[in-house]
Amino acid sequence: MFLDLNAKKTDKEAIIDSDGNVLTYGDIIAEAETFSSLTKPRSVIFVLCRNDVGGCLGFTNCLLSCNVPLLLNVGMDSALLENLIETYLPAYIWKPSESLKSGEVSIFESYGYALIATGNEVYPIHDDLSLLLTTSGSTGSPKLVRHSYSNIEAQARNISAFFEIDETERPLLDLPIYYTMGLSVLYSHLFVGATVLVTDKNVLDSEYWTFLNDNQVTSITNIPYTYELLYKLRFLNREYPSIRIITQGGGKLKDEIYHAFAEYAQRTCKKFIPTYGQTEGTARMAYLPAEYSLTKTGCIGKAIPGGRLYLIDENGDKITEPDVMGEMVYEGPNVTLGYALSPEDLALGDERHGVLKTGDMVKMDSDGFFYIVGRKKRFLKLNGHRVGLDECEQIIKGAFDVDCACTGTDKKLMCYVDEDSSIEEIRRHLSEVTGLNYMYFEVRCLDKIPRSSTGKILYSSLNKE
Amino acid sequence: MSNLAKYKKTLYDVLAIPEETDCSSLERGVSQNWDSVGHIALISALEEAFDVMFEIEDLLSFKTFDQGIEILKKYGIMFED
Repeated sequence: MFLDLNAKKTDKEAIIDSDGNVLTYGDIIAEAETFSSLTKPRSVIFVLCRNDVGGCLGFTNCLLSCNVPLLLNVGMDSALLENLIETYLPAYIWKPSESLKSGEVSIFESYGYALIATGNEVYPIHDDLSLLLTTSGSTGSPKLVRHSYSNIEAQARNISAFFEIDETERPLLDLPIYYTMGLSVLYSHLFVGATVLVTDKNVLDSEYWTFLNDNQVTSITNIPYTYELLYKLRFLNREYPSIRIITQGGGKLKDEIYHAFAEYAQRTCKKFIPTYGQTEGTARMAYLPAEYSLTKTGCIGKAIPGGRLYLIDENGDKITEPDVMGEMVYEGPNVTLGYALSPEDLALGDERHGVLKTGDMVKMDSDGFFYIVGRKKRFLKLNGHRVGLDECEQIIKGAFDVDCACTGTDKKLMCYVDEDSSIEEIRRHLSEVTGLNYMYFEVRCLDKIPRSSTGKILYSSLNKE
Repeated sequence: MSNLAKYKKTLYDVLAIPEETDCSSLERGVSQNWDSVGHIALISALEEAFDVMFEIEDLLSFKTFDQGIEILKKYGIMFED
């Protein structure tokens, strides 16, 4: 069975949320049996989730009943959601009961979530397909990442190996479960029979700290921005004796913060483990073993167990000497099947055969450790979330009568337009559609968007900051 | 400018709220832009505007327009009715 869930102690707590809901391993199996009896197998199911027991059940119910979930933020922009529904025609939707619209009838409700049959027919999808995640949830792009069953199982096994986790772990999961790294915390810990503590509170909520302190949390996993907040909140002045592992992913941590957490971990006998990953690699692909965290500041480490990392040059040839920049390639059992842009694509099999060009420009030091230098593809990671720049240009052009070009850094997206009358509206629109704070966007006016003779935007001539 | 006006102006500016909004209904996690990113920016702006330094507990419990006033009062900022 998926993640060997039926081999765990049935009365062991599997998931506890900050609303007080508790789910045992036995409950997970029982819930999935009910779910399975009510759904046609191999359906595409949209799971609109919060970080709570019901949201996690959306994932386990679908996987255990041989259905394929697309995990989405329940708070995503409704127009973007409608667009995804029209594109992928899910047969069912699992979402919080309170978000039911008039006329929607649930066929099953559990832990505050409802299952709705949309009336869409079940259509052919590939036997290996297990899970769908968005490449850029915030821009509503219909481009999805297709995961296989073995992708998730390999990732669960390999993550639990390098974190050295077992059934005594109690990870705090406040990263969204529709986000690849958040989801990996869930399934890797279910795989080892641990107890996942899930919350949609964040470090600026007092309930977060109550939940953390009351539940003997053993690990925290977060993105760079949250570590900056924890640093400001003087997290490092306190002990938290139950915490064993502090791990980070979703972008590069500032050296100062990286070092402060590495030192704190050493002082308090915890492990600080930075990781690197992408949705296309079923979350993690590299990690820095805790013993190197003080000597290899800013490093993403080496490939996770079962995987291999190397660099290639512009011709696609392998780079073997150290300190030369190249595109990083990952090979391993967690490399996903490929993308989907339409329902027909869900019938496709494995298009990558275990090899993923990451799009990240990387250098390797003489000890064989990897350092990210830049990025080849046109996206930013704002607050840990991938935001496609071309998609943002489409969003703006779709709503305003302007020409525009988007560029920027992981701190801020810079949007250049050729018309100054709606600068504030564009900024507000980007914030509303992506659900990200408006401070992540700046809109500037130019006389003309610079283009080459063939009409391509000359991004190199635009200031990124 | 009264302290209340200063407080409101800081909220409007930092959270990019249209002037006509009823600010007494503002709530963190609900109102546009008042998420964790907006909250940190708001705290910094209020600390600067009122020359105070919030304790972590106050920073965490500050979730509504009214709570902000109560917290500022603790730091000796007077709000005349």
